Amino acid sequence: MYKYIRQAVPKVDLVEKVTGKAKYGGDLKFHGMLYAKTIYSQHPHARIISIDTSEAEKIPGVVAVLTAKDIPGLNTLFGGFHVFTNDKVRYIGDGVALVVAEDLRTAEKAQKAVTVEYEVLPPILTIDDAMAEGALAIHDYAPDNVVANSLHCLVKGDVETGFNEADKIYERTYETQFIEHAYIEPEAMVAVPNSFERYITIYGSIQNPFNVRGGIADALGMNLAQVRVVQNTIGGTFGGKDENLAFIGARAAIAAQITGRPVKIVLTREESILESPKRHPYRLNYKVGVKKDGTITAMEIVGIGQGGGYNKHSQFCNWRGAIHATGCYRVPNINTEIFSVYTNTIYGGAMRGYSSPQTIFGQESLMDEIAEDLGFDPVEFRMKNVFSPGDINQSGQLLGPDTMPAPLPDMIPMVIEKSEYYKKKKEYTNQNENSPIKRGIGLAVAMRGAGLGGEALDATGAMVTIQDDGSVVMHSGLTENGQGLKTVHSQIVAEILGVNLERIIYPNADTTVVPDGKPTVASRGTMIGGLAFQIAAGKVKEKLINVAQEMINCSCEELVIENEKIYSKKNPEVSVSYIDAVKKAYGIGVMLASLDWYSPGVVPLDHHTNQGEPFPTYAWGAVVAEVEVDTETGKVEVLRVIDAHDVGTAVNPDTVKGQIYGGIVMGQGMAVLEEVEIEEGFVKSKNLDEFLIPTSMDMPEMEVVIVETDDKFGPFGAKSVGEPATEIPAAAIVNAIYHATGKRIRNLPCNLERVLLGHKLTRKGAVK
Amino acid sequence: MREFNFKNPTSVRDALKLLENYGSQAKVIAGGTDLLIALRNDEGPKELKVVINIADLSELNYIKDDGEWIRIGANTTHTQVNESELIQNEIPALAKAAGMVGAPQIRNRGTIGGNVMNASPAADTVPVLVALDAILAFKSTQGERKIPISKIYTKPYKTNIFPEEILVEVAFKKLPSTASSAFIKLGRRNALAISRMNVAVILDRDSSGVITDIRIAPGSTTPTPTRIKVAEEILLGKIPTDTLIDQAGEKVAEEMIRVSGYRWSTDYKKPVIDSLTRRGIHQALEGEK
Repeated sequence: MYKYIRQAVPKVDLVEKVTGKAKYGGDLKFHGMLYAKTIYSQHPHARIISIDTSEAEKIPGVVAVLTAKDIPGLNTLFGGFHVFTNDKVRYIGDGVALVVAEDLRTAEKAQKAVTVEYEVLPPILTIDDAMAEGALAIHDYAPDNVVANSLHCLVKGDVETGFNEADKIYERTYETQFIEHAYIEPEAMVAVPNSFERYITIYGSIQNPFNVRGGIADALGMNLAQVRVVQNTIGGTFGGKDENLAFIGARAAIAAQITGRPVKIVLTREESILESPKRHPYRLNYKVGVKKDGTITAMEIVGIGQGGGYNKHSQFCNWRGAIHATGCYRVPNINTEIFSVYTNTIYGGAMRGYSSPQTIFGQESLMDEIAEDLGFDPVEFRMKNVFSPGDINQSGQLLGPDTMPAPLPDMIPMVIEKSEYYKKKKEYTNQNENSPIKRGIGLAVAMRGAGLGGEALDATGAMVTIQDDGSVVMHSGLTENGQGLKTVHSQIVAEILGVNLERIIYPNADTTVVPDGKPTVASRGTMIGGLAFQIAAGKVKEKLINVAQEMINCSCEELVIENEKIYSKKNPEVSVSYIDAVKKAYGIGVMLASLDWYSPGVVPLDHHTNQGEPFPTYAWGAVVAEVEVDTETGKVEVLRVIDAHDVGTAVNPDTVKGQIYGGIVMGQGMAVLEEVEIEEGFVKSKNLDEFLIPTSMDMPEMEVVIVETDDKFGPFGAKSVGEPATEIPAAAIVNAIYHATGKRIRNLPCNLERVLLGHKLTRKGAVK
Repeated sequence: MREFNFKNPTSVRDALKLLENYGSQAKVIAGGTDLLIALRNDEGPKELKVVINIADLSELNYIKDDGEWIRIGANTTHTQVNESELIQNEIPALAKAAGMVGAPQIRNRGTIGGNVMNASPAADTVPVLVALDAILAFKSTQGERKIPISKIYTKPYKTNIFPEEILVEVAFKKLPSTASSAFIKLGRRNALAISRMNVAVILDRDSSGVITDIRIAPGSTTPTPTRIKVAEEILLGKIPTDTLIDQAGEKVAEEMIRVSGYRWSTDYKKPVIDSLTRRGIHQALEGEK
């Protein structure tokens, strides 16, 4: 029986947030602080002829106007993005200059006073434009507009043989949209120079301090140790405040170095939507061979991602996409290819799910289409084909028993029962033909590789220190992004040390305190970060027990630590209090601290075929959604979602639920509402009045089923839930819409026009 | 954000004097839910110098029944209209429309006068007021004048009201106790949504079920809000049947195309306004008032 693990303890940073006392990047003020604003491109594709800053410089209160010539270090950073673009702009969010002023109003005025002369170039706007014969190259280094290293494949068996064995071949194309994260806090960065000019401190709304540090150090021409990045409390990120904060941070840092004063940049919502990454649109071409009895014989998939003006994570998203494009199904013969192309549009990047919401929408729509054509119920068809214990997965890994769990054959019946699927399916199939209001129910299932896996070397650090009064400080290179990381890590440490949670202080990440523990992405915070804390706390506990054994004359093996007491298992009377042991340790010179590291090392994986061990384990999910469609207006209400996730061990059942509730609503947005609309390369959905996300009035009734499995990998058996929670609901909702209307929508979102007419309307005419 | 001076008069009289001085260089602000957004986006009147705040003028905040007319002060918020028992009893469609504007924060700031004067084709309370044949009272230092609501709109977001005038009151004749009303809004989501389309229907029947009065006013359908009399005429003097109601719906859609032309969005709007109108009529027939 655990004291903290599997307990719904309140989030450790709850009070500061709900009382409004937490300090976000935008709240920071420093003596003599300046305000800066970026001048953005006026065209999606254009050569810069000249930049005239003279009018802006004349405005009283303007301290500096900076362009590419003022950059002390590198201008080109991660993904080909620039601190200040100086040759040609490649999308509408390219920054070309920065005005720095005494106050925000003056900076805003100066922002409008900088004039840039352009030679406008024809823009490449779509995947088809980018791949057209003789298309203009957006980057000299990518003459075919294909993003470097973005092609990832998964090859298994022989697809030709598989298609020959099939009774039927299905070919379908599914397409998704640009989606904005829409976090509540727009980006904010403050650079504070050090008066001795030895180093600079950057504060802000940063998801990944070490990535941001690298970019800023390059731009400043400084080494990594000279750039201190401190994360502030962050108002959501979902992947959106990653390396792109290095570009904003670099502008602030350069301005701070040049002026010798702190410089703050806070984006407006419009600037945030313009400059931040989006969920990559994908075009997914599926070809599937199936026998009459429902056995899948082969899948051939060509996926094309829309990268946008630069490359943010196409290569990594596509790697994950290639592993997962065939879903959680037994497919003996697979040939998957996914690559991305540049376009003169806003760019795709990390967003909760990281290609999986797109591929799951494709593959789960397809499973329903095939099931219906072959006369199977969607549930039956999935039960026949989903991975079960004893199966070999798409990359050749053996699934449970005694290895990685494969619980879908148990989880699908759980959501089917809880949702009364069959009863409702029957009821809705026979609903009143004359009523325009139709209900439908749909299922989608998935598995997700937990952690970074073979995407990049996974490794992270953790530091635990017991102070001589018994209080505990924790440090990690991973970040609290609202997901509950601090709470879950604290629970793990409190459990191992047997101390009260209230003793623990866990400050925000600071790059000068712990080693680079890689980004807080890929739903790895609990699993990988938790393992590092498990090791660190375990070592500190060992030291404390060593001290205690001397004090009470017991052997270490005999001793346990629990409820702030160290005692003998054999005779609980023989004990010493936690505090006394701590004091003793300090008295005899024992360091009650440990900085530790966890890495699974380089995983065995053939990167050409992606056969091997792409992930150490998988998280599984099954979702049933119920919708009501107004077939005369196209309006979709999502009525109810039943969502089951295998999380290994739910370290904190409430934060697991929180993740899943949020994930469902994000999936709902993707399915029926959200799209950053682009016209001729310009962003039409500039603010949250035009980029619509579900409100509390739109949310469905939600029921979460937490599934715990015996997974050996993570801390106390815990694994991922952040991204699993958001990757499946959109597909389930789209399947439910089909059940309600009999119309299959293969392009997202299922907005009013698509549901009513089957296509979207724009000023330029109808589009898919 | 545009720069402007802010004036805070304490009476309508003082506000009118300021307006007389500044004319088209002034803009009146009540809830500010539209004006502030325009100013933040560097939009609004070109020659704008001052913003005159009338939000705190309590003399413009009331809902009254004078026996024959319901009178609503221009400063009355959507929340007040929505929660008013008088409005809920007399014209539930107006209470409903006010309750579907934006979100609670916007309804707490935004006013019925602002909704009327912003002249958005998608305004939620305007179709109901048009269906009510509401009379607007304007004041200036020159005096007061009253104009039917449908006469003030010239094109989307434009009225023919002089810059020196302030809307002080929205009034409409009380409906007979036998009348009933409906308001239907279609937004892309259930809150904080601009009406994709909406429609207000008011009707009255005699004891034999013959429609003696009917007003159909759709929103986001024509460039300026108006009753669709050609559709009303289909039902006027008749006992409503599904066929007649269908015809009225189709007529509204036809009229939309006749007035606005066949636009890029018409493929969608045509069947939808047809459907919303039919539903509006059915709902009004089922409703009590």
